[in-house]
Amino acid sequence: MSSLLEPELIEVMEHSNRDSDKFSGPLTAEEKEEIDREASHYENKSSVGLEALRIVQKHRRWISDDTIQAISNYLDIPVAELESVATYFQLIFRQPVGKEVIYLCKSASCWVMGCDRLQKHITETLAIEPGQTSADGIFTLLETPCLGDCDKAPVLMLGEEMHRNLDESAIDDLIDKKKKYHADKSPD
Amino acid sequence: MPTITIDGEKYQVDGEQNLLSTCLTLGLNVPYFCWHPEMGSVGACRQCAMMEYKDSEDQHGRLIMSCMTPIRDGGIYSVKDEVAEEFRGSIIEDLMTNHPHDCPVCEEGGECHLQDMTEMSGHTMRRYRGTKRTHRNQYLGPFINHEMNRCITCYRCVRFYNDYAGGEDLQALGRNHQVYFGRQEEGRLENGFSGNLVEVCPTGVFTDKTFSSHFVRKWDLQTAPSVCEHCAVGCNTAPGARESGNSNEPILRRITNLYHHDINGYFLCDRGRFGYEYINSATRIQNVLSVRQEDVISSTAEKGDRMHREINPQEAVLHLAEQIAMANQGKRNLIGIGSPRTSLENNYALRKLVGSGNFYSGLSQKDQELLHLVSTIQQDDRIQSPSTPEIENADAILILGEDIYNTAPRISLAVRQAARNRQKQQAKSLKIPLWQDSSVRQLEGDYSPIIFAGTELSNLEKITSNTLFESPEKVASFACNLALAISDPTSLSPDLEPSLLELITHTAGILRGSSKPLIISGTSSKHADTLKSVAQVATVLSDYKKQPTMLYLACDEVNSLGLIQFFNDGKGNLDELLERLKKNTDNQIPTSLMILENDLYRRLDKKSLEQLLSQADEIILLDTLLNPTSKRADWIFPASVTAESQGTFINNNGLAQRFYAVYEGKGFIQESWRWLMDAVNFCTEKPANLSAIAEWQHSTDLSDAIAREFPVLKALDSLGPDEDFRIDGLKVARQSARYSGRTAIHAEKQVSENPPLQDPDAPMSFSMEGIHNPNRSPLQANIWSPGWNSNQSIFKFQEEVGGERRGGPSGIRIERPQRVMPEWPAPSTPPEVAADPSHVQMLPLYRLFGSEELSNQAMGISEVIEAPFVMVNHIDAKAFDIHQRELIELETSCGTYRAEVRISPTIPSGTVGIPYGLPDFETLSPLLPGYASLRPAEAPAITED
Repeated sequence: MSSLLEPELIEVMEHSNRDSDKFSGPLTAEEKEEIDREASHYENKSSVGLEALRIVQKHRRWISDDTIQAISNYLDIPVAELESVATYFQLIFRQPVGKEVIYLCKSASCWVMGCDRLQKHITETLAIEPGQTSADGIFTLLETPCLGDCDKAPVLMLGEEMHRNLDESAIDDLIDKKKKYHADKSPD
Repeated sequence: MPTITIDGEKYQVDGEQNLLSTCLTLGLNVPYFCWHPEMGSVGACRQCAMMEYKDSEDQHGRLIMSCMTPIRDGGIYSVKDEVAEEFRGSIIEDLMTNHPHDCPVCEEGGECHLQDMTEMSGHTMRRYRGTKRTHRNQYLGPFINHEMNRCITCYRCVRFYNDYAGGEDLQALGRNHQVYFGRQEEGRLENGFSGNLVEVCPTGVFTDKTFSSHFVRKWDLQTAPSVCEHCAVGCNTAPGARESGNSNEPILRRITNLYHHDINGYFLCDRGRFGYEYINSATRIQNVLSVRQEDVISSTAEKGDRMHREINPQEAVLHLAEQIAMANQGKRNLIGIGSPRTSLENNYALRKLVGSGNFYSGLSQKDQELLHLVSTIQQDDRIQSPSTPEIENADAILILGEDIYNTAPRISLAVRQAARNRQKQQAKSLKIPLWQDSSVRQLEGDYSPIIFAGTELSNLEKITSNTLFESPEKVASFACNLALAISDPTSLSPDLEPSLLELITHTAGILRGSSKPLIISGTSSKHADTLKSVAQVATVLSDYKKQPTMLYLACDEVNSLGLIQFFNDGKGNLDELLERLKKNTDNQIPTSLMILENDLYRRLDKKSLEQLLSQADEIILLDTLLNPTSKRADWIFPASVTAESQGTFINNNGLAQRFYAVYEGKGFIQESWRWLMDAVNFCTEKPANLSAIAEWQHSTDLSDAIAREFPVLKALDSLGPDEDFRIDGLKVARQSARYSGRTAIHAEKQVSENPPLQDPDAPMSFSMEGIHNPNRSPLQANIWSPGWNSNQSIFKFQEEVGGERRGGPSGIRIERPQRVMPEWPAPSTPPEVAADPSHVQMLPLYRLFGSEELSNQAMGISEVIEAPFVMVNHIDAKAFDIHQRELIELETSCGTYRAEVRISPTIPSGTVGIPYGLPDFETLSPLLPGYASLRPAEAPAITED
C-alpha cells in the first residue's frame, strides 16, 4: 500500500495487450458453439458479450486484443463496448495470468485475522507482488474484496475453490500441491 | 399548472420537467454536472442535491437529487438549505481530490462548468493533500485533445457520443477509482459529431485541438452571430476571433455552437465546427492579383494556367471601372456569374452591375433545375418543411436518395432522435417521464420505422428498419409505386418483384398508419425524377391524411435556395451561357466574365468549361480561396468569408438568416459587393443601375433593395437588427467586458492606445463597450452570465430550458407564393441490363469530410479526407475480375481518372460510386451521375536508371 504522499502508480489502459501466442486468433468452433448456446438464452446476440468473454477466457485463460477483436467480429458488438465490459469486471483478465489465480481476500475480517501476513508469505514464497505471475507461470496473485466467508477468515480463493482458516503452513501445502499437479501434468 | 415553493417563494411551473430543469428555467442557480438539457437526467454526479419538505411543518426535510425528482404539486423545496449546500460542497470536494490544479494551463479555464460549479458551491479551499490518480491520454485525431486527468466521471461524454450520436468508439473503461473515458485504442473518434464533446464535457477532458494551436481565453474572443457555410442546413455558429500574436490582424480562432431552437439546438457537426480553418489556410486570397504577361518557365503549370502577381488594389479597381464604363457604352460584354456559396447581397450586387440579362447562376443546367424543383415542391401547401424539433418528433421516416449524414449532417442527428419515438411512447404509457434518460433507454422495443432507399447510407444503418440500395432511376420508380400504393394499394403493377412489392406495401402501410410521417430527400443524387416522385409521395400522403406532409429537402450549398430565387424557371445557368458565348463569336465586342466566389470546375465538365472560358477575353474573379478557376483568371479580388462579412443565406427550409461580421478581414479583403461598388464609384458616368450601386453604404442597403425588387425575398427587409439598432443608445459589444490587453496589444508598435475600429455597418461594435446581454437581442454570440462562464449559461437566455432564445428568433421564412406543383409524368422504368465494365453509371457518394469545397482546405479536415476511390458492387467486381484496393482507371468523356477500387455489397450493380468533390476528383463531380468505362490501370512502366 502506498502512502498518501508517495505517488501510487495506477496503470489503466496502458498496455497494448497484443499477444501472438496460442491464446489469440479467431474463435475456435468449440468456443463459438458455447457462445451460441449461451446466446440462445438472450433476445439478441449483442447481449451475450460478457458471457462470451467468460467462455473464451475459460479456454484461453485471458483476453488478448486479438481475442476481443475476434469476439467483436463474431457477435457484431463494437470493440469499445466489449472493452468496456472486460475492463469493468475484475474476473475478466486483459493481461496474461498464470495457470492458477490466487484471490486473496483483503476485506475487514480477513485483515483483522492477518491477511497481510499471509500476503507477505505468498509474496516471499513465490516472489510475486499482487498482480504478478510467478516465474514458472503457474501462480498469479490478486487481491480481492470480501469473499463472504468472514467467519472462517482469513480466506483465499484458488481458481474456483475456497480455502478457509488459513495460516502459513496451509498456504505452503496449497502451493506445493498445485506445483506438483502442474509438474505431473506437463512433463516439460 | 402545479405550484411549488422554493426557499419560501411560490412559483407556477411546468409539471413535465424535473425539479432541476424547473429551477434553472426559473433562473435559480442550482449546480449540476451530469444533467444536460438535451440528454436528460441519470443522477450520476449527485451535484444537484436540494431539500424536499413533507409539508410546511417539516423542519428537517430530506436530501433529494433535483434532476431525478419530478415536480409535485404543492411541493416545498430548498436550494439554500445548509444541509444541501454542505452536501453539494462535499461532492465538489470529492471530485476535486483527483482533479489537477492546472486551470491556468487548461484550455477549458474561463469557460469551465467545473470551475463555475466549484465557485457556486463555495468550495474554495482544497484540504486534500495526497497524490492524485493519473492517466495516460490517447491520440483521438486532429480535432479533439484528450486530458483524462481532469475527468470528474459525469459520463456525459459517453451519453452524448454513444446514446445521442450513435458513436461506437468511445466508452467508459475500467471501474471504481480508475474509470477511463477513451477509445479501445488510439485513433480518430469516428463519429461526425465528436466535436460536441468539447462543449458537452463539463471540464477540460475533451478540448478543441484546432483551437489549441491559436488558443485564447473565451473572454478574449470577439464574437458575432454567424451561420455555418459548409452545408445548407443553416446551423447558427459563434465564431471567435482575436488579433494574432505577431501582427495586428485578427484571425478566426474557433467555431462554437450558437443555440438555435429550430435548427441546430445544442449541437453542430464536425465539418461545421472544424471547417473554419480554411479561412486561415495557405490558399486564402489576401491581395489583389493580376496576371503576369511575361512568359514564365512553368513545367508544372497546365496549359492555360496563368501566373499572378500582387498589385495595388487601386489599379485593379480602376481597371474594373474602365470595363464597366466600356460595357455601358456597349463596347464590352460584362457577364456576371453568381454563386450558391455566397450571400444574397453579393449575388444581387453582381446582378445589378451586369444587368439581369447578363447574370448567370454559376450552376449547371442540371443543378439549377433540381433547385427549382425543390423550390417548386416547397411552394405547394400540401408540403411542410419541418424544423429540427419537428424532425425529432416524427414517428415514421422515409429517406429517399439522400445520404443525410454526409449532406445535411445535423438533420441525421435529429433523425437518430426520432428513431427513439416508439420507446418514448412506451415510456409515456408507463408514466415514465422522458427526462429519466436511462430508464427510458432501457425500455425494450424496436426503433421507430425508418426506411431508406438510395445509393448509400452512412451512420444510420443500424437504426433503419428497411433499406433498398438502388440507382436513382430505381429509387424514383420505387417512390412512384409507393405513391400509388398509398393512394390505392390495388393499383400496383403485379409485375413488380415480390420483395420490392412487399417493401412498397410495407412502407405505404407505415406512412398511412403513422401520425407524424416525415419524408427526407434532396438534390444530392442529382436526379430530377427522384425529386418529382418524392413530391408525389408527399402530396399523395397529404391527400390521404388531409394534412400537409413534412418533407425535408436538402440542397447542396449554403445559399442554393437563395440564389435560385433570382432566376425564373431554371433560366440563367452555365450551359445557357456557354451557348450564348459560342454564338457570339462573330460579334466583335470583347467579353469580360466576372465570376463571384465560385469554382466553375466543380460546376461544368472540363471540356465545356474550357470552351466557356476561352470565349471570354478577360476573366475577373472575386473569391476567398485559390482554386482551379483562379488559375485561369486575369484579375483576382480578395473576398471576405462568412465570418468577415454580413449578409443573408437561405437554408433548406426557406429560412432567411442574417450573419454578421465577426471581425474585419485582413488587409484589402472585403465583401465582394464592396469591390463592385468601389469600381462603380470610379466610373464618371453612372446610368440608373450604377448610381443605385454607388449609393450603397451598408450590407442592409442591399438587403432592402433585394426585398423591394423581389417579392419572394421580402422577408429580407424585416430581418435584423440593422446597423442603426441601439439598445439604451448603445450598440451590442462584440468583445466581452473582460476582453484583455486592449491598451497593450499593439504596444510594440505604438504605446498610445488606438481607438477601437469603428463599424458603421452593423449594430455591433468591435470593442468591449456596449450591451452584453443576450436577452435583449439575437446579436449576442458570446453567451455568458454572471457565475456561468461556460456555454451552459445558455439556459439563462431561453424562454425555458430548451426553449426559444429570449433575444428573439433569428431568421424569417421567405414567402414564396403558394402554388400547386404540376403533375409530372411517371418516370419510365429503366430497362434491366447486364453490368458492363465499358458502360457503368457513376453515382455520387458524399463524404462529411471531403465533399465540401471550403472545408477541404481546413488543416484538420484535410488530414482525414479519404483518398479518392471507385466503389464497385461485389458481384460486378467478380464479373469484371477486379479486386479490393486494386488500381483502376475510369475513362470518362472528360479524361481518365485513376483510383483504388473499393468493393461494396450495397452499391447497386451496374453502377460505381464516385466520391463527390474529393481532392483530385473535383473535376469529376460535374459528370455525376453519368457513364464511364472501367479498366484495370496499366502498371506504370518501370524505368531503370
